[in-house]
Amino acid sequence: MSESRFPVDISVIVPVGARHADPVELFGEYCSGLDALGRSYEIIFVLDGPREKFAAGLKRLAAGGANFTVVGLTRPFGEATALMAGFEQATGRVIVTLPAYHQIEAAELPKLVGALEDSDLTIARRWPRAGGPFERLRRGAFHRLLGSVTGLKFRDLGCGARACDRRVLEEIQLYGDQHRFLPVLADRKGFRVREIDIRQSPKDHHEGLYEPRVYTRGFLDIFTVFFLVRFTKKPLRFFGMIGVSLFAVGALLVTWIVVERLFFGQELTQRPALLLSTLLVVLGLQLFALGLLGELIIFTHAKQIRDYQIDTVLNFQPGRSEPSIRSGT
Amino acid sequence: MTPAPALSVIVPFYNEEDSIARMHAAIVAAVEPLGVPFEMVFVDDGSRDRTAEFATELARQDPRVVFVKFRRNYGQTPAMAAGIQEACGRVLITMDGDLQNDPADIAQFLQKIDEGNDIVVGWRFNRQDKLITRKIPSQIANWLIGKITGVPIKDNGCSLKAYRGSLIKQIPLYSEMHRFIPAMASIAGPRIAEIKVRHHARQFGQSKYGLSRVYKVLLDLMVIKTVTTFTARPLLWFTMLATPLLVLGTVAVGYSLWQWATTEGPIPLPVAGTGVLLWMSAFILICGGILGELIYGFGDVRESDFSRLTGTIWRSHE
Repeated sequence: MSESRFPVDISVIVPVGARHADPVELFGEYCSGLDALGRSYEIIFVLDGPREKFAAGLKRLAAGGANFTVVGLTRPFGEATALMAGFEQATGRVIVTLPAYHQIEAAELPKLVGALEDSDLTIARRWPRAGGPFERLRRGAFHRLLGSVTGLKFRDLGCGARACDRRVLEEIQLYGDQHRFLPVLADRKGFRVREIDIRQSPKDHHEGLYEPRVYTRGFLDIFTVFFLVRFTKKPLRFFGMIGVSLFAVGALLVTWIVVERLFFGQELTQRPALLLSTLLVVLGLQLFALGLLGELIIFTHAKQIRDYQIDTVLNFQPGRSEPSIRSGT
Repeated sequence: MTPAPALSVIVPFYNEEDSIARMHAAIVAAVEPLGVPFEMVFVDDGSRDRTAEFATELARQDPRVVFVKFRRNYGQTPAMAAGIQEACGRVLITMDGDLQNDPADIAQFLQKIDEGNDIVVGWRFNRQDKLITRKIPSQIANWLIGKITGVPIKDNGCSLKAYRGSLIKQIPLYSEMHRFIPAMASIAGPRIAEIKVRHHARQFGQSKYGLSRVYKVLLDLMVIKTVTTFTARPLLWFTMLATPLLVLGTVAVGYSLWQWATTEGPIPLPVAGTGVLLWMSAFILICGGILGELIYGFGDVRESDFSRLTGTIWRSHE
């Protein structure tokens, strides 16, 4: 790819959510970090919903002659969507995402971007890391659970500082809360993902406990990733497994009840267990049917499904020195 | 430019650095005398050894080699699917990259396709594998696959198969379906022939497929049966699932009503409740069928796409 295709080298996307720092300070810090790289860059702020305070700060920055782009979303869509909205405006060959509050030491940005030399996506791991023992436990549990589901060892998916080749975001459509799992999704697409130790910003601290919502969300996220990674193309494997086991338990119970009724004269009217067992059988059947429905969705959309990512297709023709190389899609 | 190939030989490789050059030589030796223009599609399924390097070298030396390199390891079905999509021959032949299949068999496959078959599958009649762990489970699996899908093939596991290109490119291949391609293709009603092929014991590398988990195969079979027979009529299929529940529910409700009417006592709750539960369940299943109709309606798979591939047209006045 020729360099000239891209007006700037690096596009920095900053999604601005509920938690954000002062834009003037943030902008200054990020700029000084990026300047150290000595490459051309642009900064795109995505306001995820009306963020009046932040927008006002940006106006002040603009009045002061700073150069940046702002994408304003009318309602909070979530970070993943904000990132995609920012990406639509990005023109750089390299995409860097940065949080809207101080998570990392901006002076370490060159390290993060530089690591793209031999990888497609680099994510920051805040290290050394502040935080109490309970906080450490929560983080450890989350990442360990995630690791057991995906087989990938990441240690700080909560960090919003990432750098990637443009192709990564072109191929991965993020939605919902998937921004955190970009490394997992990228790995599945066959991209090389690396985690880099980056010094944590001294201003990045969170006192005490989070709301309970944060913890349940984390757990549900893992559940989602579990599906994305294991069962997207095989719904019956998942639904069928649960369905068959419920069905089996229910069927055993029914058999037992029928045997008792036929040979021991136990009246059916006295057996609430009949209800339970039928419920299990029926539930198992329903789940199985749901799985088959899922398979139907996959099958009828099979033309759009590609299970694989091609790196290159090589074919050398005589008389031509260069091979016809098609880069994979 | 070399002439458009009539035959594409598709070979997926995964960590086969010892085999790939021999494979290439064997295919060339077997196919060149046939006098048909051909190409070889080598798919590297993210090997960690030097397979990709050797394949690139082969492609450099031989313009008939098309080398497809995966970004990482995806498995045999995606490798086959990619090879099939990249190949442009009229006839496609797939085979294993580990020298267990003999390219010398390609000639008879080609002949069978020319006789008018859409799919020709190999049968390793003198299979060189362990009896207990490989041959017996595979015989049971083949019998089961034949029974359930209605496509009786003696050896589904044999990778050496030939397809009419236009047909196989339309068959959805995903997940771990490569074992069931003929069964999956049965949606198009193809003419299938089976021929005996030679089978060599593994010379190099490790065998990658052990005794696979039975329940996966069973569920996959279920899926294939469903999609090949009921894709276009999910409501019918779900109603069939719901019918026994409907009947049982009616019996249970009828029984409890009859009890209630004849024996003065209260209505027998567990039985009545069970009946109602069965009814509701049947109702939900039928709703699932309606959902299925929607899915089919908005999907992009049409049975007519398949019927067109294998159907023949015959007019009396010509």
